[in-house]
Amino acid sequence: MKFTPELEIPGGCIKPLHYDDIDGLFELYKHPEIPGQRPLEDKEQLNRMIDYSVQMAATQRGMMWAIETEGQIKGMVSGFDWQPSNLRIVMRVDGLPALTVEERAGALKAAIGFLSKKYHVRNFAYQWIEGQSDDIKVALSECGFTLAARLRDGWRTGNTEFSDVEQYHWVSSDDKPVPRKLGDDDELGQNLNANKRGES
Amino acid sequence: MSWNFETEHFLIRLPVSDEDGTALFKLLSQNSAVAHIPRLPMTVEAQALDELRRIAMRFETREAAFWLIERKSDGDVIARIGIQYINWMMLNAQLQWELSAECGLEELQEVLPVIVNYLSQDLHLHRLEMRLRTGSDGQSKLLTALGFSCEGTLPSQQEFEGEDIDLDVYSLLTGELKA
Repeated sequence: MKFTPELEIPGGCIKPLHYDDIDGLFELYKHPEIPGQRPLEDKEQLNRMIDYSVQMAATQRGMMWAIETEGQIKGMVSGFDWQPSNLRIVMRVDGLPALTVEERAGALKAAIGFLSKKYHVRNFAYQWIEGQSDDIKVALSECGFTLAARLRDGWRTGNTEFSDVEQYHWVSSDDKPVPRKLGDDDELGQNLNANKRGES
Repeated sequence: MSWNFETEHFLIRLPVSDEDGTALFKLLSQNSAVAHIPRLPMTVEAQALDELRRIAMRFETREAAFWLIERKSDGDVIARIGIQYINWMMLNAQLQWELSAECGLEELQEVLPVIVNYLSQDLHLHRLEMRLRTGSDGQSKLLTALGFSCEGTLPSQQEFEGEDIDLDVYSLLTGELKA
């Protein structure tokens, strides 16, 4: 079953996490962008993360893509804390230093476009943590996000150290989906390989 | 470790599932007590019993803790104050309260320090956050008077009675409570 599609972005694509990409993902996790996050030391842990990425997408908890440009894994774009009934989700991009602002924005736009069209998610949040690059805010602005709140000491970076979190939102102006009779939906389980009734 | 406390005029206690249904229903059936969350007021007492059972289970797993504020002089429950969405990694939690008309700033200034001190000193929580439906002016004034800071407004957080609801975010860090 497939829940996470490969989507084109300028200069490359975002694609589901795959075991073949573990070396590239490990490089990414050795350079965490988030303050207080330690570099990953055990590559084997990424096997579990890839398993989780499939389970998260299947149960509409989250979705994860690798960002690939110029034939290289340069980052990940993810949605987490997905609340399907409230049509909202929190997005996140993790990138290597080589990931440009344009690539970051392109990946975010592609993921948001898919979640918006396929799952009718309307409200996208992004949490920028004090200490992260200001370039991330440029990418957010490019995608239409605006600052909604600054959460004081919202992120813990050490035993007694904290950073503020700026929470950005982009809310779609598209009409909300109209509920249909349960069971009449052809898109069974949102499985991209089984969008016709009777297939599995 | 006891989760029950006492002040000069109030008992701050965890609810008892098979005893507090009537008192909780009396409190949570008032629209003024729940409109800021926002949530519909309860309409039948069985809802209060369900809520008590749910809260007991959430407490057992340390997902949440809700205290009833009982006035010593007459035994009336004038408020419920609790924490939920506890993030033990980030050391923060969301505070929620439902207040009757008899619980104002003076009463909160007596009971909240006990709860907040427990949360910061015993549970080591650093940040308490409360989210209010935008326009909840009465609640907002209480929070500000108690030392909470308004941090912004999160748009379209839920749908309630056909409306998209924005939520204002207030927070209190360790040591900021004004009592």
